[in-house]
Amino acid sequence: MLRRRAITAGGVLIIMAAALAACSKTTDEGNQVDTDRVTTGVIATDPKDSRGPAPEVPGATKGGTFTVIRQTKISHMDPQRVYSFAGLVNAPLYARGLTMFKDDGKGHLTLVGDLAETPGKNVNNDCKVWEFKLKSGIKFEDGRPITSKEVAYGIARSFDPDLTGGPTYIQEWLADDAQYDKKWDFKANKTSLPPGLSTPDASTVKFEFAKPRCDLPFALSLPASAPLPADKDTGVNLDNQPFSSGPYKITKHTAGVEVVMERNTHWDPATDPVRHQYPDKIVWTFGPNAEAGANRVIADTGADQTALAWNGVPASLVSKVAGNSTYTPRTLTSPTPSASRLTINTQRVTDLSMRKALNYAIDREGLIKTLGGSTVAVPMTTLMPPSTLGFQGYDAYPAGATGNADEAKKLLAGKTPELVLAVGDDSAEIGTQLKSNLEKAGFKITVRTIPADSKLDETKKKANPWDIWIDNWAADWPSGASILPVLFDGRTIKAEGNSNSSYFNDDALNKEFDRILAMDPAAQAPEWAKLDKKIMTDFAPAVPLFASVGYYLHGSKAGGLYISSVWGYPAFTDVFVKP
Amino acid sequence: MFRFLVKRLLSAISTLIAVSVVTFLMFFALPRDPVMGMCPKNCNAERLERVRQELGLNDPKHEQYLAYMKGIFAGRDLGSSQGGRCDAPCLGYSYVNSEAVTDTFARVLPVTLSVVIPAAILWLLLGVGLGVISALRRGGTLDRLSIGFSLTGASMQLYFVGAVLQLIFIYNLKLLPVPHYTPLLQNPLDWAAGLVLAWWALAFLFSAIYARLSRAQMLETLSEDFIRTARAQGLPKAKVYGRHALRAAITPIVTIAGLDVGGALGGTVITETTFGIQGLGRTAVDAVRSGDLPTIMATVLISAAFIVVANIVVDLLYASIDPRVRLR
Amino acid sequence: MASGITLIVFMVVALAAPLVEMLYGVGPHDQFQHKLNSLGMPLGYLGGISGEHWFGLEPGLGRDIFIRMVYGMRTSLFIALAAALITTILGVVVGIVAGYLGGKVDAVVSWIIDFALAMPFLIVALAIVPTIALRFYGPRDEIPGWFRVTVLIGVFAVFGWTGSARLVRGQVLSLREREFVEAARASGAGLGHIVFQQLLPNLWAPILVTFSLAVPSYVTGEAALSFLGIGIVEPTPDFGAMIFRSLSYLETDPAYVFFPGITIFLLVLAYNLFGDGLRDALDPKSKR
Repeated sequence: MLRRRAITAGGVLIIMAAALAACSKTTDEGNQVDTDRVTTGVIATDPKDSRGPAPEVPGATKGGTFTVIRQTKISHMDPQRVYSFAGLVNAPLYARGLTMFKDDGKGHLTLVGDLAETPGKNVNNDCKVWEFKLKSGIKFEDGRPITSKEVAYGIARSFDPDLTGGPTYIQEWLADDAQYDKKWDFKANKTSLPPGLSTPDASTVKFEFAKPRCDLPFALSLPASAPLPADKDTGVNLDNQPFSSGPYKITKHTAGVEVVMERNTHWDPATDPVRHQYPDKIVWTFGPNAEAGANRVIADTGADQTALAWNGVPASLVSKVAGNSTYTPRTLTSPTPSASRLTINTQRVTDLSMRKALNYAIDREGLIKTLGGSTVAVPMTTLMPPSTLGFQGYDAYPAGATGNADEAKKLLAGKTPELVLAVGDDSAEIGTQLKSNLEKAGFKITVRTIPADSKLDETKKKANPWDIWIDNWAADWPSGASILPVLFDGRTIKAEGNSNSSYFNDDALNKEFDRILAMDPAAQAPEWAKLDKKIMTDFAPAVPLFASVGYYLHGSKAGGLYISSVWGYPAFTDVFVKP
Repeated sequence: MFRFLVKRLLSAISTLIAVSVVTFLMFFALPRDPVMGMCPKNCNAERLERVRQELGLNDPKHEQYLAYMKGIFAGRDLGSSQGGRCDAPCLGYSYVNSEAVTDTFARVLPVTLSVVIPAAILWLLLGVGLGVISALRRGGTLDRLSIGFSLTGASMQLYFVGAVLQLIFIYNLKLLPVPHYTPLLQNPLDWAAGLVLAWWALAFLFSAIYARLSRAQMLETLSEDFIRTARAQGLPKAKVYGRHALRAAITPIVTIAGLDVGGALGGTVITETTFGIQGLGRTAVDAVRSGDLPTIMATVLISAAFIVVANIVVDLLYASIDPRVRLR
Repeated sequence: MASGITLIVFMVVALAAPLVEMLYGVGPHDQFQHKLNSLGMPLGYLGGISGEHWFGLEPGLGRDIFIRMVYGMRTSLFIALAAALITTILGVVVGIVAGYLGGKVDAVVSWIIDFALAMPFLIVALAIVPTIALRFYGPRDEIPGWFRVTVLIGVFAVFGWTGSARLVRGQVLSLREREFVEAARASGAGLGHIVFQQLLPNLWAPILVTFSLAVPSYVTGEAALSFLGIGIVEPTPDFGAMIFRSLSYLETDPAYVFFPGITIFLLVLAYNLFGDGLRDALDPKSKR
């Protein structure tokens, strides 16, 4: 009897197994990622560049609904609080700022005026006083004109401590103090403006800073400079229903389920150098995980034909998509500005030769295979990712794709340093990989898993007890100014919340940062590239590892999608639906 | 009867209070600082401190607890960063989701109910049906097939079955849409289409227990004297089995079903993750991961309430089905 | 019978894992990344099956699936058996105490059972499991694999005893009123005598069945925890973790899903069949 039961049960299983069986040979033809894409960028000097309308996208037609499938909701929609990648590429659809990047999707960026006629006027050429003249014909979703008053109000409300989450550059620069909300209390002064911000007339916004702030035009390209009429300010609830100044307005928002955006009829394309308004509706739908999202788009049926899987093609499905040429026209692949490095805690690992040995020992190829291969990451030997303005490639510690254990051993001179590697418990495989990699070169590695949720917070504490861990930095604009000083200026080190997580401090280097930061942004680019190499050669405060690769699939009827050269995520300014 | 109810209710309330206290303490044992997630890139200690102050995270724990409990019954005033006045039943304001927790629940509860209740009906019908058939056809092919089926189900895991079912029916055969939730009243057909795989996966796994149980119970009652007497008196087969045998067999089934449904409502995490549906379970997991105390409290309390209520309902049903049981 | 043999084979293989490793020639932590393509997928047919790697290689890290399964079985079976043993013993003790003493003690125990049932297991596990190591280990210490194993057993123990406690309590409640127990009590027998000589002999059949059915439920329960990211962590080989990881390769590397999937299924099925058979053999009422 029992045997019969077992046989019946086994039968059911065999049917399931047969459904799974697939037999094909896996070979070593790699999927090619364009790793050489180098970003070139300028700040528009010709006001014509900032004028609308944006050139038509070839083949684009009006109408239809474009859908983005994403696992989790967008953390913030309030333009003053947007800081996640999904939020940053979505916000331009309903929020216009003073400046914006014009992006051809191939790495060519031009910073242009968005609401402003130009990307800013450096009044005295000392980067301390900036003026922005607003265009005419710019309107909110209810048809009222956008004036300097609403732009200034938008910036003022970002001082409100209730509105957490957004970038803080402008606030800190205006107040000249990291504690900007103490210097100027928004709630108590709703009718006035923060220090340094003024509106000389209805179409002029003026910034006056205590120190040179040459990166202002870049910083204003974040959605936080979006305008808002004071009477439409609903405080924390604006997050659910932002007030639109862009080509789309939010008509329905079910938190955690979907965001529906429809055309804003008061948006005038003649004022906008970047955006289009092709689909009738743009919808975000939340819930499916990366696999489910990708599978939906792979299946390409019904509404999913005009959809994009935001979470990309996960490593486990890549070989299905990459190995099939029918999917090629529907994929978007590009390295992104998100750069990962093995951070070395220089407070603990003080021996320079040990840090250099780590750089020789690293097996980037093995690490990338562990992560899912060439569609997940491309190896990198520089601190700034290739998508940075003025990028220059170099390898300060040439050791080949899989590392050079002998060179590392030579530098260690017979020592076997014991290092503690911290990894999040959701990516423990990386710990396994790095341990076996580095131990071949003579290190003794202790892998310490910590709860993934708190890994970032803990490693940003100055007193953290670990020696090495993987860190990631994606700059807020593609300039070395928002990478190198942020990561290695020793004067910024505080008790917690450090971005300089190597805790590296060198006076000469800090001076060099100040020198370059005071230069004209265009002249800065080659200087940052030079400094990048110098930091790695002289100090080796980290081991550059890889730049993340974006690998996306969209439905057969979605068009105009490209990977943003600024954020490394799909951008929607040109999106359209094929009939 | 009345005394019994009062006693059960009192015990249920005390259980729920204990659950809420334990959950609250558990939250403070979490290593994650909920405030950290609120400013991802450039935080400083002082601003974090002010946010903590604003959210009341610096108050003594028992005060925070009492304030939360008071909110449920009387409403409370939250700071301007948390949407202001929050009327009873106030489950707090989720600073992670930027909405009142009651709104979150109004959204996710129907989802979980839509997953579990039809699935429970399906697995009960399937399980009891299979069990009864195999009891009546003891030793026959049908018996063996149904036992094989239920043993297979009992030995499989939901996430495995769910993944395979999705691969076959959605991506390969393209018979069904990707699992999703549409409100029943908005479009009943779409509602069913979006959830049907989840129902079957759950039913496949759960029916096994019921098939086994109802088979054993049926066999037992069939051999009892009163059934034999009824058969001997020449009562029709269907009537004997239907009215007498099944009725006696159903008592323990109801007990387990009640507990299972209660448990399933509180524990749909795996189902929801497998099928990518955002209901109570996933909301709870997200809340624990992001240290979202008000949402954690509310999800735990609601799932505990399901189980406690299911227990009481089971006791009452028990009494009304089986006259031998008297409530004390 | 077949189920019993299957079980014995599984247990022997699991126990003899180091021996199997010696004969097989590949360890559970050895990596063969040169046998993966640039996407991290194993080269060759069916997930890299070869004479050297019987069940192929894991995508990514490139470890041998067969030897990791052998070691993984050891971890999973150990967790499941230990958890089943502890919960059964705990349940039996609490059940006897509550059932036999009755009155206030019974009321308190019943309330605790209700409470434990009402706490949502997965949410509590999710909150506790990742953080408990912080209380026991310094921040620079490596957390040994067995610690997580212990934590999981502990979590199962805290939540799992209620089932057998309820069962035993019910049995004791009815046994207590029977003549032979009354007689023993009247003749002045001590508590120990009544429990060990009178009650336990009448309880061991249901206890054994509960135990044998608890083991497979902990095997799958442990796998479910992996699904939420709170199971056994790298690099300890474990069935649940393996299945969870393999599941996303369902389409691109079915062999990776197939081998651990079918093995865990057979293991659980064998236990279920065994438990069923045991029940049939021990319970005179259940006729087939």
